[in-house]
Amino acid sequence: MGYLLDALRAMGTTLVTAFRKPTTVEFPAVIRPRAERYRASFALPDDEHGELACIGCLACERICPSQVIKMKPSGKRDSPVTGKKRQYVDTFVLDLSACIGCELCVQVCNSDAIRMTREPEVPVFSREDLVLDLERLRANAREKTMSWGKGSELLERQEPPKVEKKVAPKPEAPPVAPAVPVVGEAR
Amino acid sequence: MSPLAHGAAYGVVIVTVLLTIVALTIWFERKLAGRMQSRLGPTMVGPVGLLQPIADVLKLLQKEDIIPTDADRGLFNVAPILAVLVSLGAAAVVPFSPSTIAADLDVGVLYVLAIGGVMVIPTFAAGWGSNNKFALLGAMRAVAQSVSYGVPLVLATLVPVILAGTLSLSGIVTWQSHHHWIAVWPVIPGLPAFFVFFLALLAESNRIPFDIPEAESELVAGVTTEYTGAKFTLFYMGEYLHTLVGSAVAAALFFGGWDGPFAPGLPWMVGKTLVLFATVYWVRWSLLRFRADQLMELCWKRLTPLAVALVLLAAAWVQFGPGGSE
Repeated sequence: MGYLLDALRAMGTTLVTAFRKPTTVEFPAVIRPRAERYRASFALPDDEHGELACIGCLACERICPSQVIKMKPSGKRDSPVTGKKRQYVDTFVLDLSACIGCELCVQVCNSDAIRMTREPEVPVFSREDLVLDLERLRANAREKTMSWGKGSELLERQEPPKVEKKVAPKPEAPPVAPAVPVVGEAR
Repeated sequence: MSPLAHGAAYGVVIVTVLLTIVALTIWFERKLAGRMQSRLGPTMVGPVGLLQPIADVLKLLQKEDIIPTDADRGLFNVAPILAVLVSLGAAAVVPFSPSTIAADLDVGVLYVLAIGGVMVIPTFAAGWGSNNKFALLGAMRAVAQSVSYGVPLVLATLVPVILAGTLSLSGIVTWQSHHHWIAVWPVIPGLPAFFVFFLALLAESNRIPFDIPEAESELVAGVTTEYTGAKFTLFYMGEYLHTLVGSAVAAALFFGGWDGPFAPGLPWMVGKTLVLFATVYWVRWSLLRFRADQLMELCWKRLTPLAVALVLLAAAWVQFGPGGSE
């Protein structure tokens, strides 16, 4: 009789659930709010003078754990805007298909030249669409919403707090464990 | 109209309608299952996912038709066709309305029971023909199961037969339209008999909690393990058809078939069948699978004595009670 009652209770549960509102969110149509630090794709923004901020220093290419960034720096030349000498980047390719989203490239960038973007959807129809070249990265910078951090801010956060150097006292030698007293006969 | 032409004409209509209903019930089951698990079920294909069964069938038909190298090709190919034919065959004697019945047999109940018993043959043929150990295990379990649930099934069916005093399904329905639905009055042999019949129906159509022959977690897919594409579709359809026709038989035997207030006829029969069918799926998505030995114990030690008692009670009711088969 017990399992009959259990069966009825199980059927009660499913019946009640069947008349509740489903918890499913129909994803492409409805997108739940993303986390604050959600990040999906990349962008190469301009600096304050209106030229590409990237100076082709290779820092991000070197730190990338999955090695998805390939760039070709041009030599140093005078900037047509400011007149100062600086380096530019000729090609910049970021393969999003292997990117693990660790944001290390953003963290190491000294010139705030690579940012991550918040995008509702990353999936695409062909692998080629995931290979971002300079054009698309710059377009992303113009069109997409930026994610939470940029290089200078992140570097600042990472700097370890300064503490005065203290000479730690030499730890005392651990006390020698006393020999286990023999109580009674050994069993 | 000659009986043959009558049967053929109604047969075509009933088969067409049944197959359409099966397609819709697959959609309905997935929706129901979804809602019971707090999901939405199919939503993408067609309005509220109504075209999902068509998409499913199209997908299945595109698949490669694989016949295992060492399979018994004859059995392997014939089994799925038999499975559908047997399921459809039972529908021949089901009275959908006073006039909608393909073949009004005098021994309709016997015919339904017999053809339900035959259902095990395509299952075993598929299991044996596949030459696959999981399929064979599933088939053997199906046979063992059919021996167990067969007895209470037949005994439970005897209750309406005794009360109505006829073996004809349409006769039983007519009797109920003059007296009471058997599940309603007399309550004591009627409702428990329906309960036993329903459990046996679950076992016969291999539905959870008695889906031991195809127990996915133990036997991959049981007898359908080696089947792909169109043949798998046939098995799948046969399973749903079997449940649907079984629900229709239960509605006719215990709930007065096409009888009902206001407008007795086809809508009542369809409505009752679908409610019973939905209940089968409600059970399916609520409970867990019984072990084979638990099924045996339930069938032999509990349902069979219960059903025997109910048959005796029904006989006593007819003999000494107020309402017999006049």
